[in-house]
Amino acid sequence: MVSDNAAEKALNLIRSRLCNPNFIFRPLCNSPDSNYSKLKFIVSSSVTEACNNSVLLLGPRGSGKVAVLDLVLEDLLLEYPDMITLIRLNGLLHSDDNSAVKEIARQLCVEHQLLFSKMASFDDNSEFMIAMLRECGLAHKTIVFVLDEFDLFTQGKQRLLYALLDAMQSVTSQAVVIGVSCRLDADQLLEKRVKSRFSHRKLLFLPPSEEDIYRLLDHVLSLPVDSSLPHDYAIEFNAKLHSMFSDERFRQVINSYMNFSPAVRHLVKFLFRAASDMDLKLGYLSFENFKSAISSLQRQPKMECLRDCSILELYILVCMKRLEVKEQNSYSFSAVMKEYKSIHDSFQTSDYYSQDVCLRAFEHVLQRGLVCFADGRGRIQSTEFRPVKLLISFAEISQGLKAHHSCPAFLQKLAS
Amino acid sequence: MGEDEVLSVTRRTTRSSSATAISTKNDVERTKSTHICSPSLNDLLYGGEPIDLDVLLSNFPGRHPQICELLQILGPSNTPMLPIFVYGGPSTGKTSIILQLFRYLNRPFVYSSCRTCYSPRILFESVLNQLSHHRKNATNGYSSVKRCEKPSDFVNFLREALVKLVRDWDKSSSILPLLFNLDSILNIPEVGLIFISSTPPDTFYSSMGYIEPVPIYFPNYSEDDLRQILLRNQAYPKLYSSFLDAVLRPFCRITRRLDELSAVFSSLFLEYCKPLNDLAVVPNEDLKRRLFSNLQPHISLFLNETFRVLSQSSSGAERTKGRELRGSKRKIGTHDESDELDFHMSTSAKYLLISAFLASRNPATLDASLFDSRGGSDSRKRRRKPSETAKGQKEAEEEELLTKGPGSFPLERLLAIFQCITSVAEDYLGEEVQVEDSLEVEGQDGPLMSDVLLQLSSLCNANFIVKGGTCPLEGSTRYRSVVTEDLALKVAKSVKFPLAKYVYRR
Repeated sequence: MVSDNAAEKALNLIRSRLCNPNFIFRPLCNSPDSNYSKLKFIVSSSVTEACNNSVLLLGPRGSGKVAVLDLVLEDLLLEYPDMITLIRLNGLLHSDDNSAVKEIARQLCVEHQLLFSKMASFDDNSEFMIAMLRECGLAHKTIVFVLDEFDLFTQGKQRLLYALLDAMQSVTSQAVVIGVSCRLDADQLLEKRVKSRFSHRKLLFLPPSEEDIYRLLDHVLSLPVDSSLPHDYAIEFNAKLHSMFSDERFRQVINSYMNFSPAVRHLVKFLFRAASDMDLKLGYLSFENFKSAISSLQRQPKMECLRDCSILELYILVCMKRLEVKEQNSYSFSAVMKEYKSIHDSFQTSDYYSQDVCLRAFEHVLQRGLVCFADGRGRIQSTEFRPVKLLISFAEISQGLKAHHSCPAFLQKLAS
Repeated sequence: MGEDEVLSVTRRTTRSSSATAISTKNDVERTKSTHICSPSLNDLLYGGEPIDLDVLLSNFPGRHPQICELLQILGPSNTPMLPIFVYGGPSTGKTSIILQLFRYLNRPFVYSSCRTCYSPRILFESVLNQLSHHRKNATNGYSSVKRCEKPSDFVNFLREALVKLVRDWDKSSSILPLLFNLDSILNIPEVGLIFISSTPPDTFYSSMGYIEPVPIYFPNYSEDDLRQILLRNQAYPKLYSSFLDAVLRPFCRITRRLDELSAVFSSLFLEYCKPLNDLAVVPNEDLKRRLFSNLQPHISLFLNETFRVLSQSSSGAERTKGRELRGSKRKIGTHDESDELDFHMSTSAKYLLISAFLASRNPATLDASLFDSRGGSDSRKRRRKPSETAKGQKEAEEEELLTKGPGSFPLERLLAIFQCITSVAEDYLGEEVQVEDSLEVEGQDGPLMSDVLLQLSSLCNANFIVKGGTCPLEGSTRYRSVVTEDLALKVAKSVKFPLAKYVYRR
């Protein structure tokens, strides 16, 4: 038995580690051919050799693009203090050119202790930006532009991208443009004039290999031996952890999870869920924690919705399914109601309700997202007459009916 | 119930939110001049006394596993957390549990609902105002995501942001990916985000993608849970329990939503108690049976009347109003077969309603044969023709009517039919046998015609007639009648108009 205090401390440590992307991605940076070293080389060459560079970081969401970039910049800022100015833009916030240029001007002003004018126009701001680029180039200071969600910057006329990349064609400036995007074809979105000024360097972020995963698990979950935590407890904790890592069942759980959500951030989410399940009384992470985490993360929302439905709502779904089986390509609530009536007429069910009640049940189903309107227009016609369609497969319906706790057997027969 | 409050506020806002496709840029650009505040942590706490965990658990029967799960993920106050996505059907206690949980934990949080904050700007402002403990002060309208960051650096101690999310929002709005990525943009470990939604996470499509938050599911209450919840705060638990024995099961087959059930039950219980003079009585078997047989006729009535709680479809407030009107109309029709309308309508409005109904139901090509100057006798003869059409075609047409609903018609056609049927009706009323001179008819209808357009617009407002889109060829507005056949027949009966003769049957 371990004191609750130590276990709580350990849990807090693990939780804060999991929420800190810089910590998570640190071990993946060591090898010489990692994206970290490549990116660091590009940026540092631009700092030391006074040249312009542009690079795109591409990879699925949660693969650690920004985290690696942060690590690189953090290290470089330590290495070359006062030589790098960092400008950060996010496509979600600054996707239109005006606000982007304004934001650049604002961050430049903050960085260089200048007075920022809110009234400045787009022209003023972009002129200011170019002037600053020249000045910084003369002073051998590098400006690093980080454009997060790069694909969103390509939506408009791409004036900002053009202005930035065009300014970098001159010898006097010294800047790096780093685009971060989860669209792998982000460079194809560029206009011709922008594309020709872009260096076409791309760094691809791939999901971690199995070896990397276990390195990461070890890095994140094992406790430091030389800290405020009790020494014996930390050793014991790590030993249990390692014996679990070598367990075949554990490997299976991790594999099955990583098969459908390969990014590092997914793994982090999984670990977080497992760690927050940790029994403080026991004080150690157990296999059951991971197992319950995987079941709580791998959910089947449609089945859960079906399980929540009342009998009448199930009837409506079954009626819709029968209509779709009959290959009616377009049907509305009134057709569903007709089908419902015909079922009642031929089988004399006990669940026969008026149209108003059914309409309400239909609206519930609509709200749950099991059914949607097939036309985009809406509001011209009333709900009864708008064409609808099912959003769940037939197999899901019959499976859901079986799982439903009080579904009449008759209804299951109808649906099959 | 708290949920009801939220819903009643929000019915109108869903529509306006779809209209405001404001992109975030406007807000982002807005910069805030001064941020003079010294917010203290305690201002963000839940007002009132913190509550015990036991009280919390007993307040929400059937929600024990969910509360424990939430507590585990939230963790102790000095640790960070990943964003959480709480989902489950309506009225399953998502919001109230989260709010009460923070009351129990006694931790600061900010809550805003995307239903009430229907545009991004209002949402941001609401969050920021709560953060900086700012009461409405028209002069500083600060709002931006970017600035969301600022006060959080500024405050630099723990706080929780709580964002309620509705699905009506994601249509054509760029705010959704933003909310989901907010966590990574902010990059402040002290802030946690909780999203609450009544639809599962897979309904939130976005081309951008996002790292899904940790899901927590609130299932609907089971029948036993519902019984427990309904029994709470009842003055006569014994009596109510026997009442629930009788009614809960049949109603659960229709809906398992607590808000609807409690609304229906409250009126049904009054019915149940009617024969009793002392409500504190503990019912024995005999009494139970007697009460049940007393209630029996009401149950089926109420079953078909669950409409009493207003529907909250996305179709907007006016529609709902209209439907309520029609709903109440139908209700009367179901229990006593009276032909009386329960609302007043002028005679010309009634005729207009009938003619709109006819224009929607009948094909336009049939008008000439139905309403030519020789009156109804001839139309009957001609109506035999459609019955000779092939059966397959007939079915296809029927199908089409079902899918398409009532047809639309231009104003001219409505007025023409209106004129015809008023003239016919005058024939009936005045007992005049002979055909009127057409000129005379027009002269007679003069006063009736004068306010027809006014009547039409009021019918549109009452949602008996819907203004459809404009016809691309003619360029005039088209109308559509949405009244049911029952209602139309009833209206026709009240003015003694033989409607059935004119309706085209396929």
